Amino acid sequence: MNLLFVFNELIRHRSRLLASILSIGIGVALFISLQAYSEAYRNAARVPLSEIGSDIIAQKQGERPLAFEGVVFPHSTSPIHAEEIQAIRELPGVIDIGQSIFFWSFDPAGGYLAGLGLDPSETVGPGRLSSAVRAGRFLLPGERGIAVADTNYAAEKHLEIGETLTVSGTTFELVGFVDTTRAGQVANANIYVPLADAQALCSVAVNVLAVHDFRPTDANIIFVRADPSQAPALSEQITGILGMDAIVTTPRSFDRVLGATFALIDRFGLLVGLAGLVVAVVGLLRTTAAGLWERRRDVGVMRAVGWRQKDVVVQLTLETLFLIGLGWLAGMFLASVTTWTFGFTSITVPIPWELAPTPMMLPGGPLKRGVTMPLAAGINPQIALAALGLALLCGGLVGLILAYRTANLKPAEVLRSE
Amino acid sequence: MNNPFITKEVIEEQVVVDPAQVKSQFSRDADLLRVEALHKSFGAVAAVRGLDFRVGQHEFLSIIGRSGSGKSTLLYLLAGLEAPDGGHIYCYGKDCNGRDIVQLTENDLAVWRRRQVGLVFQAFHLIPTLSAVENVAFPLYPEHISKQDRRAKALACLEQVGLAHRAGHRPTQLSGGEQQRVAIARALIGQPSLILADEPTGNLDSQTGQEIIKLFQKLHADSGVAMVVITHDDKVAAAAERILKMEDGRIV
Repeated sequence: MNLLFVFNELIRHRSRLLASILSIGIGVALFISLQAYSEAYRNAARVPLSEIGSDIIAQKQGERPLAFEGVVFPHSTSPIHAEEIQAIRELPGVIDIGQSIFFWSFDPAGGYLAGLGLDPSETVGPGRLSSAVRAGRFLLPGERGIAVADTNYAAEKHLEIGETLTVSGTTFELVGFVDTTRAGQVANANIYVPLADAQALCSVAVNVLAVHDFRPTDANIIFVRADPSQAPALSEQITGILGMDAIVTTPRSFDRVLGATFALIDRFGLLVGLAGLVVAVVGLLRTTAAGLWERRRDVGVMRAVGWRQKDVVVQLTLETLFLIGLGWLAGMFLASVTTWTFGFTSITVPIPWELAPTPMMLPGGPLKRGVTMPLAAGINPQIALAALGLALLCGGLVGLILAYRTANLKPAEVLRSE
Repeated sequence: MNNPFITKEVIEEQVVVDPAQVKSQFSRDADLLRVEALHKSFGAVAAVRGLDFRVGQHEFLSIIGRSGSGKSTLLYLLAGLEAPDGGHIYCYGKDCNGRDIVQLTENDLAVWRRRQVGLVFQAFHLIPTLSAVENVAFPLYPEHISKQDRRAKALACLEQVGLAHRAGHRPTQLSGGEQQRVAIARALIGQPSLILADEPTGNLDSQTGQEIIKLFQKLHADSGVAMVVITHDDKVAAAAERILKMEDGRIV
């Protein structure tokens, strides 16, 4: 084997070299880019949950309020009792759990707000909004009678820190503003109050008690951080505990609502990528075969001057592998450019209706049901290496077969005919 | 002189070779090749019909014949590039000990050619992407020797054919005569016992052809390497010490 000979042969046939590199490069780029696109979609689908450090959100669908007056539960929520929460906490695979109470409050003058009761000491769920404080401070563990407001809501209602808010007769001092633009979508509310205050509010709310068996230690949304390997099984077990009305949201739920594009990429991305690689290898086969046909005389000379068949096979296969290596580099470059351009596109992850913070019947409600973010695609090193491995395997095999066939040419016939 | 790259001194040096002097230097008693009952047919056409002859260890032999007489087929058979239908080719060169090369495998034949035989073709058959020195070193690529040693050997061979000053040139940058000299240098690099040349002047004008033949004579005189030159040209054949004439696949 001689690298100088390999290099000279490749340089000599520049157009063929370029065609081979492009052929492999496009196949590799297609394979890597589709996987990057698919992974970016998958990661985007996880954002609404991952931003609040949760893998599973569980709630129970309940009855419609009899009247939209005072504090009510959206009919996508109903009480989850303390014993049910404890049973879920004890399931294998549950790492941590957070609980909240989500409520709507309608005042007689026609005002509306969405409130969320939370425990600020919890690390799963809306307690993580403490990192999204834009002014003032967040709730502190053990505090009562205070609230923080969403920045947009505060701007809309011209709220100031230190101001007092009244929710169904209970007053709260406003201590800060939080930005819930992304994280808040699945735990979004206009104001956030201590869990104990929310439990107290709901315990006396006529339109809650009229349709729900609410107890002072209950919650109506729980957030579960789970061992990823056990998450699918956990989802089913939680449903088992909460009953047929359970609504369990997982990253897979978001995958489903991302629609047909994602489903196609998710299901057929690997297949299309592999097909691209196969087409690339076929292209390489054609150019390599044509190249070897033109070089029959050289192969005849190799054999005539004393190269063994295996020497010829090694030399020609090395040329093919070298081409694949160059093609892979070109593919990596193309894939880098492609995934970089993905960053200029955005994706809207629809929020399932049951997690929507704003009642659908209110103006603007449906518009808020989605998280829009840039499609952050990147090249996965494992996928890039897999593409190299596949290209080397398929291309190398093709190169080896062609090289073996060429090396078996009868040198006398070739040298006579040239 | 139509070749601007061959100096007058080189040509004159080649001209002074005296075949009589060559004959006195080397014994021709020992065989290098002994061919017995060699047959080769291509379909219904018998190209070589039961040939028997010998090549001495330091002999310069010409095989002459018209086109289609079977002489090129004979050369390919002697080189092990073509398998005969019958017969034997016994080799008595270095490390051969009377081995019948007809019985060798493809790989053994390749190694035998690399170490025992130098081949020169009418069409030169140089690798166009390699320089002259790389072409000369080409047979040694599969050997485990350093690049420096390989290059040094190749340069020495180019020196022998008077072309060291063109070592870095590609075949397309060389004249026909120069390309054939590179091919001859390539044939010499394995220090073979035998050089087989198929119409080595066939693609050259008469003057350059004469220069190549004189080069063969000189190399033969200097090293005693056995040579078998296939030709249809009486003048080329006359440069050899012995001439075999072929007609319809037979020696006549």
